[in-house]
Amino acid sequence: MKKKLVSTIFFYLLVTGIALVVLFPFVWMLASSFKTQVDIISWPPKFIFSPTLQNYQKVFGEQDFLKYFFNSTIIGAVSVGLSLVLGLPAAYSISRYAQKKLAVFILLARLMPGISFLMPWYIVFSRLNLMDSYVALILSHMLISLPIVVWIMSTYFSTIPREMEESAMVDGATRQYAFFTIILPLSGPGIITATTLSFIFSWNNFMFSQVLSMEKTKTLPIAVYNFVSYAEVDWGGVMAAAVAIMAPAIVLTMIFQKYVVKGLTMGAVKG
Amino acid sequence: MSNVILKNVVKRFGSVTVVDNLSIEIRDKEFAVLVGSSGCGKTTALRMIAGLEAVTSGEIFIGDTLVNDLEPKDRDIAMVFQNYALYPHMNVRENMGFGLKIRKISKEEIDSRVQEAADILGIHELLDRKPKELSGGQRQRVAVGRAIVRKPKVFLFDEPLSNLDAKLRVAMRAEISKLHRRLGATIIYVTHDQVEAMTMADRIFIMNKGIVQQSGAPMEVYAQPANRFVAGFIGSPAMNFIEATLVSENGVLHVEAGDFRVQTPAAFSSRLESHVGKQIIFGVRPEDISLHDPSANAGEGNTVTARADVVETLGSEIFVHLSQGEHSVVARMEVPEHPLTVGQTLQVDLKMSKTHVFDKETSQAIV
Repeated sequence: MKKKLVSTIFFYLLVTGIALVVLFPFVWMLASSFKTQVDIISWPPKFIFSPTLQNYQKVFGEQDFLKYFFNSTIIGAVSVGLSLVLGLPAAYSISRYAQKKLAVFILLARLMPGISFLMPWYIVFSRLNLMDSYVALILSHMLISLPIVVWIMSTYFSTIPREMEESAMVDGATRQYAFFTIILPLSGPGIITATTLSFIFSWNNFMFSQVLSMEKTKTLPIAVYNFVSYAEVDWGGVMAAAVAIMAPAIVLTMIFQKYVVKGLTMGAVKG
Repeated sequence: MSNVILKNVVKRFGSVTVVDNLSIEIRDKEFAVLVGSSGCGKTTALRMIAGLEAVTSGEIFIGDTLVNDLEPKDRDIAMVFQNYALYPHMNVRENMGFGLKIRKISKEEIDSRVQEAADILGIHELLDRKPKELSGGQRQRVAVGRAIVRKPKVFLFDEPLSNLDAKLRVAMRAEISKLHRRLGATIIYVTHDQVEAMTMADRIFIMNKGIVQQSGAPMEVYAQPANRFVAGFIGSPAMNFIEATLVSENGVLHVEAGDFRVQTPAAFSSRLESHVGKQIIFGVRPEDISLHDPSANAGEGNTVTARADVVETLGSEIFVHLSQGEHSVVARMEVPEHPLTVGQTLQVDLKMSKTHVFDKETSQAIV
C-alpha cells in the first residue's frame, strides 16, 4: 500500500516535471502576448499583470496578417496535396515491392540539413525568375512533406494485408484500381497522420520561406520577423503573432491527434 | 472446358526453388486438393495459377488458354483466401458484388446474382453488415459467396478453413463439398490438413519440397502410398515406421528389427525378394494393429508382444502407444471389453496384408 502511494506520488511528480518543461515556453509566450513591453522585460518577471490586447491589435491591424495566413495555408495545402499525389503511390510501391533502399534515399532528403538545399535553390529559382513565387515555396516545402508522406504511408500500407488488393485483382481489378478503391479507402488514419504532420511542418517552416519568399509570398513565421527591427524587438508583437501562428497547428493536432497516434504506432504491435 | 494444366512449372525466389518442375493436370469439374506441410510450395503453385506470382519457367493453361502472361483479372478464376480478404469498408452485398461491378454488369444482374449466392450460402440476413460485424464462419461464407457470384471457370481455395475452430471446420468442409457438387465447377484447394484433403478431394496431390510426391484418389493414396513421405503424411495418427532388415528363412520372408519379427505375406514375396538382406522401412497403420485374436490369423507370424505405455481414450476408440525394446508404435483400436492399463504387456496382431515396405535408401514403396 505504502509502496503504491510512493509510486503514485513519483508518477505525478514526473508528469508535472515534464509538463512544466513542455508547457512553460508556451504559457510564457501566451502570457507575454497579453503584456505590455514594459511588463515583458521587467525584472523580476511579472506573473500578475493587467492584460492588454494591444499586441493582437498590432498583429491583425497594422500587419497584413490575413495575407500571410493565406500564403501559409496555400503553400502548406498545395505542397502537402502534391506530396500526397506523388507520395502515396511511391509509398505503396515501396511497401509492396520492398524497395527499402529507395525509402532510405527519400528519408535522407529529410535528414539532410535543409540549409544545404537553400543555396542551389536560391540560384535555380533566381535564374528561373521564380523568387517570391508560390511555385518556389511549394516545391521547397515539398522537400519537407514528401518524405513524411512516403515514410508514414509505406509503413501504413505494410499493415494492410496484401490479400486485400490480390483479392480485388482476382475479382477483376487492375493493381491501380485496387489501390484506389481498396487500399486508399482503408488508409484514412495513415493519410490523416501524414497530412497533419507534414502540414504542420510546412506551416512552421521558417528557413525556406525566409530565403525564397519576399513580400508577395511571405508566410506566417516570417511575418513574426516584422516585429524585429535593428533598434528593438517588439516582444509583445512577436509573442502575439506566435500565438496566432500556433493556434491553427494546435487545433489541427487536437482534432486529429487520435489518428496521428494511431497512424504513427500502426504496425508497432500485432493488430 | 475448365481444366487446369501445369507443365514443368518452376518457381524460384532468388536461389531458393519453391516449386520444382511441377507438371499436373486438374480435370474439368474436378475437386483437386494440393496438400503438404508448410513451405512445400502448394500455396505458391496456387498463386501462380491465380496469376499473383509469375512463373520462373514452365506453362500454365486454364482451359485451352496459356495464361502465363495474363493478369489475374483475365484468367476467369475466383479465389478464397486464408484470411478471407473481405473489403472492410464495404458491406457484404458490396463485397460480393465488387467483381461484377468492375466488369460493368448491370445493377439488376448483380443484385440477382448476390441474392442467388446468398440463398445458396444462407447469408441473407448478413448482406447489409460490414465484415467486422461477422463471425469467422460468416466471413468464410461471404468470401465463398464473393467467389461464386462471378461464376468463374476455376475456383481456387487457399487454406480457407484454417482460421476456423474445429467444429466449424467440419461443417464448412461438408458445405464446400456440397457446393462443388452443386456448381459443378473445377476447384483447386490448398491445405496442410490431410483430413480436409481426404474428405473433400476427388484427387489429392501430395507435395513436399516443391515436388508432387503422389497424386490420386484419396483412398488410392491412402492404401498405396508411393513413398515414405506420403505414407507418413496421409492418415491420422500417422503410419508407424520401423527400420528393419528383410531376412529369408526357408524361403519365407521376415521383417526383423531386434526383438521385433513379423512374417511377410506370400503375396509380397516376388516384390521383396530382391531386397533380402537389405535395410528397409516397415510401415503399419495404427488401425492395422489389433489386440491378439487367437481364433484368427493363427500361425501367420504376425503376432507381436508389446507394452502399453499410454492409453488414450477417445470414446468410440482408443489410441494405444506400444513399445517393444527401442521400437514404439501407435495402435488405433476399438474400446476393449476389459480396459487396458498402462504398463500392461499385450499381444497384438498386425494385419500384414495392409502393411508397407519402403526402400531405406530411396524411401520409395516396395510394397
